[in-house]
Amino acid sequence: MKVPALSRGAWLLGGLLWLVATAAGFALLARHALTPGPTLEAPSSWPASAHPPLAKGRPTLVMLAHPRCPCTRASLGELSVLMEHARGQLDARVLFLQPEGTSSDWTQGPLWRAAAAIPGVTVLVDTGGEQARGFGVATSGHSLLYDAAGRLRFSGGLTGARGHRGDNPGRDAVEALLREAGGVGGSSEHAVYGCALEEPPEARATNTP
Amino acid sequence: MKPTEDASGPTVVLKERAVLLFHEHLTTVRRRTDRLFAGLMLAQWAFGILVALFVAPYGWEGKDRALHAHVYAALFLGAALTVFPIALARWRPGAVSTRHGVALAQMLWSSLLIHLTGGRIETHFHIFVSLAFLSLYRDPWVLLTATVATVADHIIRGLLWPESVYGLPNVEWWRFLEHALWVGFLNLVLLHAGRVMRREMREVAVRRAELELAREREEDKSAELDRALRELSGFQEHLIRVEKLAAVGQLAASVGHELRNPLAAVRNAHAYLSRRLSRDAIGAADDPRVPQFLGVMERELGACAKIISDLLDFARERPPALQPCPLRPLVDEAIGVVPSRDGVRILNEVPESLPVPSLDKEQFRQVLVNLVQNAVEAMPQGRTGQVSVLAEGGDTGPWAIRVVDDGTGIPPDVLPKIFEPLFTTKTRGTGLGLAIVANMVQRHGGTISVRSEAGRGSEFHIHLPATAAAQAA
Repeated sequence: MKVPALSRGAWLLGGLLWLVATAAGFALLARHALTPGPTLEAPSSWPASAHPPLAKGRPTLVMLAHPRCPCTRASLGELSVLMEHARGQLDARVLFLQPEGTSSDWTQGPLWRAAAAIPGVTVLVDTGGEQARGFGVATSGHSLLYDAAGRLRFSGGLTGARGHRGDNPGRDAVEALLREAGGVGGSSEHAVYGCALEEPPEARATNTP
Repeated sequence: MKPTEDASGPTVVLKERAVLLFHEHLTTVRRRTDRLFAGLMLAQWAFGILVALFVAPYGWEGKDRALHAHVYAALFLGAALTVFPIALARWRPGAVSTRHGVALAQMLWSSLLIHLTGGRIETHFHIFVSLAFLSLYRDPWVLLTATVATVADHIIRGLLWPESVYGLPNVEWWRFLEHALWVGFLNLVLLHAGRVMRREMREVAVRRAELELAREREEDKSAELDRALRELSGFQEHLIRVEKLAAVGQLAASVGHELRNPLAAVRNAHAYLSRRLSRDAIGAADDPRVPQFLGVMERELGACAKIISDLLDFARERPPALQPCPLRPLVDEAIGVVPSRDGVRILNEVPESLPVPSLDKEQFRQVLVNLVQNAVEAMPQGRTGQVSVLAEGGDTGPWAIRVVDDGTGIPPDVLPKIFEPLFTTKTRGTGLGLAIVANMVQRHGGTISVRSEAGRGSEFHIHLPATAAAQAA
């Protein structure tokens, strides 16, 4: 089909704009995937108020998780890999948020069952997010590794981006800590990719009875 | 298959035609593939939205939820990846830029779907499936565009976000080459398949061109044959006209000859009567030769009228007006018209119970009159004889009407010519009687034949098809 020169030029311009728009879209998508959630200061030693208490004789890993966050599925996947590599050296607990005013059904969904299926992992309810606040955690998938003495060795996420599984610095750091010094040498902090565990302050104010 | 003609002309035409057909076919295939991808883009868009809704429908902040960024990405970025190639396929089908745009969009769809599924390794197979689909264009440059897009995506992601494409945080700079190698390997297979397909398409085009040329040659021959047939038909018409003119000449000669004698007799009688009346008009009434000459004039003018009547019957080819016509009364009527002759008996042996056929009464009476009169005239002078008219058939079968005489018979050398116009053995006659009979029988869809034996007589046999009876029923 013979197309007039002007029309061909219009198509070319349209194609260029399309490329730019598409590139911008992918860039935004990548930025979203690589933007970590907020992190707070985690207690440097095992909080006395934490329940259950620190495991005896081996490191303890605590992951605070939102039961409906799609990104957390990837975090649980990486935890599964970590537990397999740890070969029983690690006591892992996943504390799923149960906000006030929600039932246990809201919490015990597919992610709960996925976590419970990982060997060596204990799944618990964090009612009202008290444990998360105690550990200074604000983002789902945030994991904390305490050594047998209760000292914080690792704080951060086990994925390299939102919802993306695969090798990543966070999981590598935990594995290195366990491998090199049985979880007692050095410390590491990494970004966390996941949903916020609590509503924004203004929303909380609105929800308050 | 390659053309093997020695003459360069047909070979060049064949090659040019084959190239044209090949490109037409290729364009058709590419337009079809454009439409296929338009549908595929829509399907991918719908699939991407479903994946986003299934894998990551919402982002959460405590109890609050909002549509996940992936859903928006599937909707809007997916729309961008879908609409532009569909527009290309719709408004520029078959164009080079369309298939390259489609290739680029398709590979970007791979990236988006991989992202939406959280980088699942299984979704990476979308790249290979896409390349296979793109090979349907049978254009190696389209595969190159797709491959360049994929490799560029790997390089950029490898630099900025290696986990999203390699699943590892730190990779060697050349890692994209490993992925490109596998893509290239698939491309080799697809290129080979594409080359085979194009070769087959060329072969098909050559065969089609050969067939078309052969058909054109046949059409030329057919046109030439038609022209020759038209010329032949023209010659035939000309010949018929010439024959007609000859026949008219012969007829004119025959009629003229036949009319000359009676007219000469009339002229002589008229001359005598004129002289006689001018000399003594009153005394002429007593002249015995006056009524004699008047009788001659009446007889000869009657003969002239008969000749003219025969001529008109032969010339007018009036189609028969069929109507139910009982045969026996018709035969009686015909016998009544024929002048009787001493010693010759004419018998109507048509059964009264015979079914009634559909005939043109006037024409068939003429047929019977001519046949009976011929039979009577065939009797030697001074000898007794018999002429019989018989008929049989009807119901659902054909009709047979026979006129049998026991006269002298027809000589064998004369027999084949008796139905020809202007043929006669009589001293006086136009030779049109039996030709008129044959014509009229044929117009009724029948046939007439004759069997004769010298010294024993003749039998004229009229055969009418069964439809005559059926129409009368």
